Amino acid sequence: MSPTDRPPLRPPLLLLLAVGVALLVLSVLVTVTIGPADLSVAEVARSVAGHLGLPVADVARLHDAIVWDLRLPRVLTAAAVGAGLAVAGAVMQSLTRNPLADPYLLGLSSGASLGAVAVLVLGVAVLLPVAAFAGALAALVATLALARTSGTLTPARAVLAGLAVSQLAAAGTSFVIFWTATGDSYREILSWLMGSLAGATWTSVAISGLALLLVGTVLVAAATRLDAFAFGDTSAAALGIDVDRTRWSLMTLVALLTGAMVAVSGAIGFVGLVLPHAVSVVTGPAHRRLLPVAAVTGAVFLVWADTLARTVFDPRELPVGIVTALIGVPVFAVLLRRGRGTAWS
Amino acid sequence: MELRIEGVGTRLGGRWVVDGVDATPPDGALTGLLGPNGAGKTTLLRLVAGLLPPERGAVLVPDPDAPGARATVPVHALPRRRRARHVALLEQESNATVPLSVREVVALGRIPYRSLWGTDSDDGAVDRALAAASAAHLADRAWSTLSGGERQRVQIARALAQEPDLLLLDEPTNHLDVSAQLSLLAFVRDLGVTTVAALHDLNLAAAFCTHVLVLSQGRLAAAGAPADVLTPTLLREVYGVEAEVLVHPTTGRPVIALTGRSPEEGA
Repeated sequence: MSPTDRPPLRPPLLLLLAVGVALLVLSVLVTVTIGPADLSVAEVARSVAGHLGLPVADVARLHDAIVWDLRLPRVLTAAAVGAGLAVAGAVMQSLTRNPLADPYLLGLSSGASLGAVAVLVLGVAVLLPVAAFAGALAALVATLALARTSGTLTPARAVLAGLAVSQLAAAGTSFVIFWTATGDSYREILSWLMGSLAGATWTSVAISGLALLLVGTVLVAAATRLDAFAFGDTSAAALGIDVDRTRWSLMTLVALLTGAMVAVSGAIGFVGLVLPHAVSVVTGPAHRRLLPVAAVTGAVFLVWADTLARTVFDPRELPVGIVTALIGVPVFAVLLRRGRGTAWS
Repeated sequence: MELRIEGVGTRLGGRWVVDGVDATPPDGALTGLLGPNGAGKTTLLRLVAGLLPPERGAVLVPDPDAPGARATVPVHALPRRRRARHVALLEQESNATVPLSVREVVALGRIPYRSLWGTDSDDGAVDRALAAASAAHLADRAWSTLSGGERQRVQIARALAQEPDLLLLDEPTNHLDVSAQLSLLAFVRDLGVTTVAALHDLNLAAAFCTHVLVLSQGRLAAAGAPADVLTPTLLREVYGVEAEVLVHPTTGRPVIALTGRSPEEGA
């Protein structure tokens, strides 16, 4: 496909969100039933209703435990992380005017992983989200500083700098593993590197959900300011935007969001890179539409990707990062073809 | 808008790229900003737009809080959003990284008017701007499919959506074919908005501008009507070229006929 002269079809935001949220609820209910133990949607619904204090018939205790203690926290974490990564990617792409920007490619995820792994081996897991945030922020600053040393911040430079920072953080993580890890902690650390939701608990739901809600709301409220960056910094400034303050405050929020997501799931790639582009084909680039729809789409996407990850090679579990890459790369290739001849090249 | 540029100057990397420029571009007319590359045209436009605070002097505009009164304020001291409702700047090269439709590009000009939740108090403003820039027929096209001339027209529509009293254009005719250059400048001239446009084509400036400012190494070398300013002496001193200045047989405007480089100018 090449860019055409046809007016883009842009369905109303409320319709898109209604469809998205309905899909998400359905996806959660269905994916919770999928797995080694055979459950029905009705059982899932009854278990959830029971825990919410609604008067419903009891569910077998084992099934109830599988739903409430294992699968539901995992699926909800997947939803929050998917939403958070998609929003983080969309915001970074706009702020850096770089269609390739994403928490993973610019090194934020690796930085957050390093922070997470470091506190993990030090045995202070309580600090994990904080360390992941600090790692993401440090990586962001390092990437932007490195990309700027030789002049203006071009997309190619930012990606190359992100690659370097990623490698450095990965080397740091490898060093920590090499020096300290044994047996179980090795496995746990590995899941941070490849991205996995296997360890998700209700605490994970709380961390990722809260970060998504707080940061997501602020980012959606900043939608107009993000729109203003479409033609670059000078143009944004001429439209009355405080360019430096906006960029740094929103980037810090993205690092916060990424830190929270990596703290519960490790570094999952391609969600932040691919989903915003795919979603903007339908919503258009206006952030007031793009961000909420990207969030819901990211949630649905990661819920299913994680379900695939834990069931395809049952009883073995794949890190979900492998699944997102397997789906994300072909989608990205299609988007690259569509974008030929525009700002992508 | 009555614009007064008073002794304005700023440094970039230690060098005075704009140095003590005094000028009063005429109200509601097209002023050409001329000068060789590196003379400080873009920096002066950014100073006039209030995007760069001057280290010396000031750019004064009427106080928007006291319409009618003769009070003036430095443009860089205006709150950003309010300034963006009075002053619009189009950059030399501007391209979008996201797939926007023409209507969406023009709607960007309404950002200074949008509420926190993104609603615009004036629905018709985008359509009016499109119509004013003769770009209404492009409204549903994708930005990336437009020609250079169409893009400039849409960018002007975006600037007009800001409802500016002062329009600043940096090399608006770059990369346009000849007919697009003529129609764009004629259009800007007839807008009736105070406009300062950096131009590198002296003959276009001579044909369309009411007033020209000539910059040389950050300083104002001359200012006034094109016929008074664009003399062989000035062209030799500022551009290092030998030229005859003729009179156009039908428009009566000056026409610059270059004969060669000045012998004493090395570069």
